[in-house]
Amino acid sequence: MSAAAVRAPRIRPARVVLHGFLIAMAALWIFPLFWAIYSSLRPISDTIQHGYLSWPSNGLSLINYQTVWSQAELPYYYLNTLVIAVPAVVLTLLLASMVAFACTQFSWRFNLATLMIFTAGNLLPPQVIIVPLYRIYLATPIPVLGEIDIGKFAFPIFSDRGLLYDQYIGIMLIHIVFQTGFATFVLSNYMKTISKEITESAIVDGAHVLRIWWNIVLPLCRPALAAMATLLFTFIYNDFFWALILMSTGSKRPITSALNNLQGEFFVNNNLIAAGALLVAIPPILVYIFLQKQFIAGLTLGSTKG
Amino acid sequence: MGDSRGPKIAGSSERILIPGTGIELPVDFDLSRRDMLKIAGYGSLAAFIAACGGTTPTTTSGSVTAKGGSMSIGSYLSDAVPKKGLQDVVDAFTSANGGTKVKVNTVDHGTFQNTINNYLQATPEDIFTWFSGHRMRFFAKKGLAQPIDDVWNDVKSNFTEGFAASVKGDDGHVYAVPTSYYPWAIFYRKDVFTARNYKIPTNWDDFIKLCQQMKKDNLIPMAFADKDGWPAMGTFDILNLRMNGYDFHVGLCGGQQKWTDPKVANVFKKWAELTPYYSPAFAGLTWQEAAQQLRQKKAGMYLLGLFVSEQFVSGGNADDINQLDFFPFPDLGTQYDSEKALDAPIDVYMLAKKSPTLGTDSGQAKAFLEFMSKGSSQITYWKASPGAIPTANDADPSQYPALTKKAAQIVSGAKRITQFFDRDSRPDFSGPNAMQGFLLRYLSSPKQDTSSLQGQMQSFWDSLTPE
Repeated sequence: MSAAAVRAPRIRPARVVLHGFLIAMAALWIFPLFWAIYSSLRPISDTIQHGYLSWPSNGLSLINYQTVWSQAELPYYYLNTLVIAVPAVVLTLLLASMVAFACTQFSWRFNLATLMIFTAGNLLPPQVIIVPLYRIYLATPIPVLGEIDIGKFAFPIFSDRGLLYDQYIGIMLIHIVFQTGFATFVLSNYMKTISKEITESAIVDGAHVLRIWWNIVLPLCRPALAAMATLLFTFIYNDFFWALILMSTGSKRPITSALNNLQGEFFVNNNLIAAGALLVAIPPILVYIFLQKQFIAGLTLGSTKG
Repeated sequence: MGDSRGPKIAGSSERILIPGTGIELPVDFDLSRRDMLKIAGYGSLAAFIAACGGTTPTTTSGSVTAKGGSMSIGSYLSDAVPKKGLQDVVDAFTSANGGTKVKVNTVDHGTFQNTINNYLQATPEDIFTWFSGHRMRFFAKKGLAQPIDDVWNDVKSNFTEGFAASVKGDDGHVYAVPTSYYPWAIFYRKDVFTARNYKIPTNWDDFIKLCQQMKKDNLIPMAFADKDGWPAMGTFDILNLRMNGYDFHVGLCGGQQKWTDPKVANVFKKWAELTPYYSPAFAGLTWQEAAQQLRQKKAGMYLLGLFVSEQFVSGGNADDINQLDFFPFPDLGTQYDSEKALDAPIDVYMLAKKSPTLGTDSGQAKAFLEFMSKGSSQITYWKASPGAIPTANDADPSQYPALTKKAAQIVSGAKRITQFFDRDSRPDFSGPNAMQGFLLRYLSSPKQDTSSLQGQMQSFWDSLTPE
């Protein structure tokens, strides 16, 4: 006890250096975020008069947040992104888990080859196929099935011009196609850890393939699915590229393009953009917080093979 | 009746055959009231048939425009202020044109410009907002814009010759309606010039002397910023225009003249007389920062477009904008001084040929273009978005503030108007890898022998695939 009491206040230099380093690194990482928050709270006239490296002369306000919310029509663009991202994540997980399930739980001739094809697809840079894809989208007719009106924005159910081009469903499809490779890769590695005895005993009990997939394998994969959902949502949420090429209607583009709307032709209000950027960053953070437990569990998934 | 066979004139009674109806009418310009009713009757019959045949609404015969119906506009006017300006004009158009429904697709201007090629080849709106100069001619040549000679015939009397020239494609057809523009000039603060008793320089020597005086007075004589690459092109444009003339400049932008020409070397030599008076570390400054140097009275003058005023307005101090003034670039003592040429980028509205709806009915879109070429419509836009100046002759200038009046004056005094380098030359030559980069390299040591630099500029041009 006395030994411990003596030892406690002793501070080793290595520890000081370590903590100094950690604090410095933390400050370095937090600084840009803090700077964005600080700028977003100041009106542009204040920073023009006194520069960014100054104390606020007229106090801080939330006026930039109000402006950005209405001027950039953020609520609609959040909806645009959700309309694309949520179905895309769900469908990607369903499809990828089916492939992974078939390739890991059953022995058939091409299961390894199939898995390799999906993994290889993951390595294909999307930019290389953009021109043919643009032509395909322009040449693919799809039915017009009416639309859902929310406020002044209309969300066409399938298409509003009879083409795959410039549609939510088109963007959704390309995300599903590109994310399925990665999701299959991760999920199959996770499913390999599920012992085959479980599926075999299910077969003995008379469960058919779809039932095994839905009632046995998917529940066991919950941490992997949650982690993938977080990742996929962030990937799709951050996407700007597909909507840029495969859409032409400004009001249908996702939230990332709403930030571009804030960039003036000549005049750029950086404080407003800071406020917008912070607001746009919120949903992925929320998703991460809600799925955090699974996300950390998912970090190690696939690191040991069963 | 634009029938190529022409009206059939029969015998002495001078009768005219209305094409497609088999009806002959006298053409002795002594039509009875009954005849008039007949014509009107057939006119409405034709309209009725057209209305039954499809969705095409009433087309006034002999006119290229149509009322009612619907049309669409692809717009890069994404800033809050110009966006509202367009909406005001669209609302006015709808009520003036029999309730034509107008769908506006607003895309932020950066994305709009970057994806214009894809956009025009896919399913564009009927009308799109764009720029004059090479940028317009390029898409005209590619067959992505539709000629509007018929519209232009109706409205050309409302534009000066300079504007008329700016909307012609390489094939001689008209492809756009010019709606607004802004000039480039040398901006200064009136209070600074009054307090120090500076005189507006009208020739190069006085200009350089003024720069020297400002330096002595601890001012930055010329604010300058080139972090974004494009601002320096404005100085190149005006020097080349005034030293070598409009024709040479346009030829240089279009590749008919060579960058290795000693005339270009002279421009760089002249420019070097001015560079010692630029803002320190200008290669790292944005134009906004340079504008602030002028606003904060740290700098004396600034060669930029009229949009510099936005920095003065958003500073929040009303006096700043009242003090802002400008003067035209001083004469260089060459034969081209009399051209008074300057950069005044013109914004235009064009028809997108591949629009899925334009093919079947273009009457509403053409009606909008005609509407847009009226002074009153342009003033409606200008009131909401005063950053640029209306182009129409009948736009009422009485409401313009002093700065706008003066800007309109110096452009109407110019015998030649250019659009700014990146609108006059091909995009792959005006970008950061080419012209912008070359100018930055020149500005890093302006006194250098520029022959090797010019050689590289020319070989870069030669390496580009023909458009």
